[in-house]
Amino acid sequence: MNCTRMRQVLDAWIDGELDAATSTEIDRHLAECPACLALKGERGALRRELRANAPRFEAPPALRAAILARIEQTALPAPAPARHRQWLQTAAFASIAAAVGLVAGLWIERPLPDDSLREHLVASHVASLTDPQRLITVVSTNQHVVKPWLQGKIDFAPVVRDLSADGYTLLGARLDHVGDRQTVAIVYRKRNHVINLFAWRAADYTAEALALQSARGFGMATWADSGLRYAAISDIERTDLEQFARLMQP
Amino acid sequence: MHDPAKRARFESTVLAHLDAAYNLARWLTGDTPAADDAVQEACLRAFRFFDTHSGTSAKAWFMAVVRNTCFDLLKERNRYDRHESFDDEIHGLPAAERDAPDAAAGRNADAARVRACIAGLPAEYREVIVLRELEEMSYKEISAIVDVPIGTVMSRLSRGRDLLQKTMQDTGARRQS
Repeated sequence: MNCTRMRQVLDAWIDGELDAATSTEIDRHLAECPACLALKGERGALRRELRANAPRFEAPPALRAAILARIEQTALPAPAPARHRQWLQTAAFASIAAAVGLVAGLWIERPLPDDSLREHLVASHVASLTDPQRLITVVSTNQHVVKPWLQGKIDFAPVVRDLSADGYTLLGARLDHVGDRQTVAIVYRKRNHVINLFAWRAADYTAEALALQSARGFGMATWADSGLRYAAISDIERTDLEQFARLMQP
Repeated sequence: MHDPAKRARFESTVLAHLDAAYNLARWLTGDTPAADDAVQEACLRAFRFFDTHSGTSAKAWFMAVVRNTCFDLLKERNRYDRHESFDDEIHGLPAAERDAPDAAAGRNADAARVRACIAGLPAEYREVIVLRELEEMSYKEISAIVDVPIGTVMSRLSRGRDLLQKTMQDTGARRQS
């Protein structure tokens, strides 16, 4: 072996990538060539310096959770444009009806506050499904990430529970406005179905027992506790929504 | 919902290499937020296609996805802000040293110097150096990740080490004078 050839294979030899026969040739050459031996020494020093001083960056702890949450999100059902359109049509129809009512000089009864709230909640739920970007602002399957994120953004602390054992995956949360209320939507998923759990400040501290109703085809579970009101909305089976709501109870 | 078995397989065969993926992305992109973005994006791609991969080890396959995602991201970034890229990214010190020159001048000086030397290597040499020296991957794996023949891996490593040795000697000499 000559020095030119040696220069070509030295690194592969240092990396343990060469066969035994070539290695023997290299040993023989190194024994009689100080220049190549010096180069080998430099390579050794380089490796030691790299091992000592070049950091192997470790993935930040939150990265794994963020990845898993994003993967979960990709499994969300494609937004249902038909349903959205239907909602828009209904809205359009309602405003036409209102206009007609006004023109005819009739008084169309304003919906009860509760009805209007229910409409707003459904609208927000539907809107969140049509745009995955909008659905979740903080992506995390970890309640201990979601809760601190909420702190400092809102002046109340809604319940965030880990219900993964029961098949409800926490996806994250977002801030939302429902009507003129500042709300938080905590987002869970059961199979292909998104559950938006809205929470906002109640007028008082009156506790309210769990109630189930349906709104525009969605199931809605509502309750109040500790000065906060909650509404969970989803198209999952009614029994599942009830189970979910029960698991969230204090 | 995704097939839970697929997700479990993804976690055990692909996400098991998250640190290696992050390290590569960090060295290729040059900063923490970009590495974060690249790895997240790479994982989504990997999850989508991970049933279709065959041949190389899951680790090498995943690292190839990460590498390609990093270069896509850099390409995109350079398109948007051309002037920002070169100095900071290729020759820049990690943010910690930039922000705290005093600390860098102290006990971290060697680490900072070595890091800057690696960061200053052209990407084609930097990636093989990181994969070999920091991730200790075989030539065969590196060849699969970078998508070049093993002979090319060998010559790039050799050339990369020559360059590193030279810049480290240069910067070391400058520091002492």
